[in-house]
Amino acid sequence: MGGQRAQVIDEQRGQAAPPGVPVPAGPPPELVFKRRLRPLQVARELWAARELVRALAERDLRARYKQAVLGFAWAVLTPLALCAIFTLVFHRAVKIETGAVPYTLFAYLGLIVWQFFSNTMNQGALSLANNLSLLNKVYCPREVFPLATMLVATVDMVIGVGVLGLMFLVFWTAPAATFLWVLPLLVIQFAFTYGIALILSVAVVYLRDVRHLLPIITQMGVFATPVAYPLAKIPQRLQEIYVGVNPLGAVIEGYRKALLYGDAPDARMTLIAAASSLVFLIGGYLLFKKLETGIADVA
Amino acid sequence: MSRDYPAGTIRTEQVWKRFRADQQRMLLRDRVEQAARRLRGDRGEDWRWALRDINLHIEPGESVGLIGSNGSGKSTLLKMLTRVMYPYAGVIDVRGRIGALIEIRAGIHPDLTGRENIYLFGALLGLKRREVAGRFDDIVEFARLGGAIDRQVKFYSSGMQMRLGFAVAAYLEPHVLLVDEVLAVGDAVFQQRCLDRMREVAEQGTTIVFVSHDLPAVQSICRRGVWLEQGTVRVDAGIKDALAGYRDSIEAQSEASARVGEPLQLLKYEVRGEDADDTTLHTDEPVTVELTLGGDYRGDATLHLGVSEGTSSPIFQISHEIRMTGGDHRVACVIPRLPLPRGRYTLWTGVYSIGKTDGGTLMSWHSAGQFDVFGPMLDTPPRAVVMAAPVFVPHQWED
Ligand SMILES: Nc1ncnc2c1ncn2[C@@H]1O[C@H](COP(=O)(O)OP(=O)(O)OP(=O)(O)O)[C@@H](O)[C@H]1O
Ligand SMILES: [Mg+2]
Repeated sequence: MGGQRAQVIDEQRGQAAPPGVPVPAGPPPELVFKRRLRPLQVARELWAARELVRALAERDLRARYKQAVLGFAWAVLTPLALCAIFTLVFHRAVKIETGAVPYTLFAYLGLIVWQFFSNTMNQGALSLANNLSLLNKVYCPREVFPLATMLVATVDMVIGVGVLGLMFLVFWTAPAATFLWVLPLLVIQFAFTYGIALILSVAVVYLRDVRHLLPIITQMGVFATPVAYPLAKIPQRLQEIYVGVNPLGAVIEGYRKALLYGDAPDARMTLIAAASSLVFLIGGYLLFKKLETGIADVA
Repeated sequence: MSRDYPAGTIRTEQVWKRFRADQQRMLLRDRVEQAARRLRGDRGEDWRWALRDINLHIEPGESVGLIGSNGSGKSTLLKMLTRVMYPYAGVIDVRGRIGALIEIRAGIHPDLTGRENIYLFGALLGLKRREVAGRFDDIVEFARLGGAIDRQVKFYSSGMQMRLGFAVAAYLEPHVLLVDEVLAVGDAVFQQRCLDRMREVAEQGTTIVFVSHDLPAVQSICRRGVWLEQGTVRVDAGIKDALAGYRDSIEAQSEASARVGEPLQLLKYEVRGEDADDTTLHTDEPVTVELTLGGDYRGDATLHLGVSEGTSSPIFQISHEIRMTGGDHRVACVIPRLPLPRGRYTLWTGVYSIGKTDGGTLMSWHSAGQFDVFGPMLDTPPRAVVMAAPVFVPHQWED
């Protein structure tokens, strides 16, 4: 206990007496603030902020779709357009082999995942920077901002999946019976995506020019990830390392196997992807929580 | 260590906060440069303390005025109490729901409507939707927003934003209400209503920390005053004492700034009672102010005299035409019945030219010094009623 250091002043005159106890030159080292994370408390705070997450996501969705003439069609048009280009370039020109599965379906499935990732990454990276004034006013766990952008991307993804359903009708095929494998893959996809969004969102607060890297990452990522081609195109001995760095590769490959080819996803690859995305998620979260304490100082 | 304090308690123990003093841009390339420099052993970091060793214990239901000059760390302290900002060292413990009005740009989200903002804020305070709905009408009624409640907050005027923010913060029944210098954008009527409301919630047991440069307003709300100076607590006492100490210190600072090189100087001044040797002044009795001016200026000029409480605007101001002849000039002013109650006051003077260079400054408006008045104290007004300036009015009651 430091005790009251302020002096009581002369009743009649209200004159401050000269400082009695001098203020030390610096704080005692054992009192320096350290961030302690209690999982239970973190979970409780996140739960308490669910309304905020919903409101933030709703606002983004509304803003996006109110102004755009085409409304929700935007969520569908981008992947469809890319899909058409991929079909022309990779299927017709490069002649990617997809077996009995229509290439369009093959590419579109990859694009849904990629679109979800790049939406969350691009919007999530700016989610703190765009809300700095808010961060200076009310307390809430800051991870809700990237979380809300992921929620928005999820809505887009659901629309995309609806279109996928239509495609199944058009191509007169049905999802394979192994489709339940999709669930664990979804968890991996969300964990990895959120981890990346967490890392980038604090990075952009402290290093404003990182945002200029985003378009480059997005452009390169769509070709560096097996969206237009199968994972098998990556040399066999590099595949494990590749999936460790980019779990989306295994996730997309797994979806294709489960939904289109009727196989179980490759167990080894899926486990590597799961481990990697867990590292991204936990590492990203810890980094986020550590840097979070300084956001209001630099805002 | 963490005893169970009741909701509404605020405790800070040895809280320190520092900011970067050197200019730093938040850019990757600067960081790379910096890292390179650090490798060469040059740390190149420059920190400045914004708050040092803050120890405050505020009980539930206390109303505390936080005063101090610009940059003394008031907003920083408040931000740390709301947990928006983190301390460098020390313990901060605020129990219960916190309602804060830190910036004028109130509400949570500019893109949401007033209505959505109210619900969102309630949710952040940990209230259920139903609980917010129960207070919704009160909030809208208090803020006088009417139809604007369904408009986006970014289209509100500053005053409307402040109204909404204050109404939300004050009606969602927080245990702790933090208000930082925002009421000023409200119109006079609304400011008074805010102060009334603050007194009301204070009486219901809400802890209040009120930051303002409007010292009379602070005095009308708070019972305790904390005066921050350069990041440390200079005085923590009853509001009257804290304010008096703070006012005196501003006084001393403005006196210290000398006015060199002006055509006229105040050589001597004296404030005295009826007799020449009677230096104690009494309410409702005669007072003589005597000034001696010196300087090269020749010609007509207007001499202004003012009296203030602290550095706020003058309680009254009187002026007189004088003719300077290049030498020293003595002038005296007699006030037959001094209209000031007991207290400490500041005497201000200034001289301005008349004629060709009309209004030119011969001696700028400055405080000459202070004097004490003995006599009756003013009756205390009801809480939350702001007295602009103390004036003694001779009066009699009959019933
Ligand atoms: N984010 C920041 N980065 C760097 N310095 C800061 C930051 N915020 C505050 N400071 C510095 O900390 C000091 C205290 O600032 P603060 O805003 O708390 O003052 P204040 O008492 O609220 O002043 P005012 O009466 O003008 O509102 C100032 O010197 C200010 O420059
Ligand atoms: Mg301030």
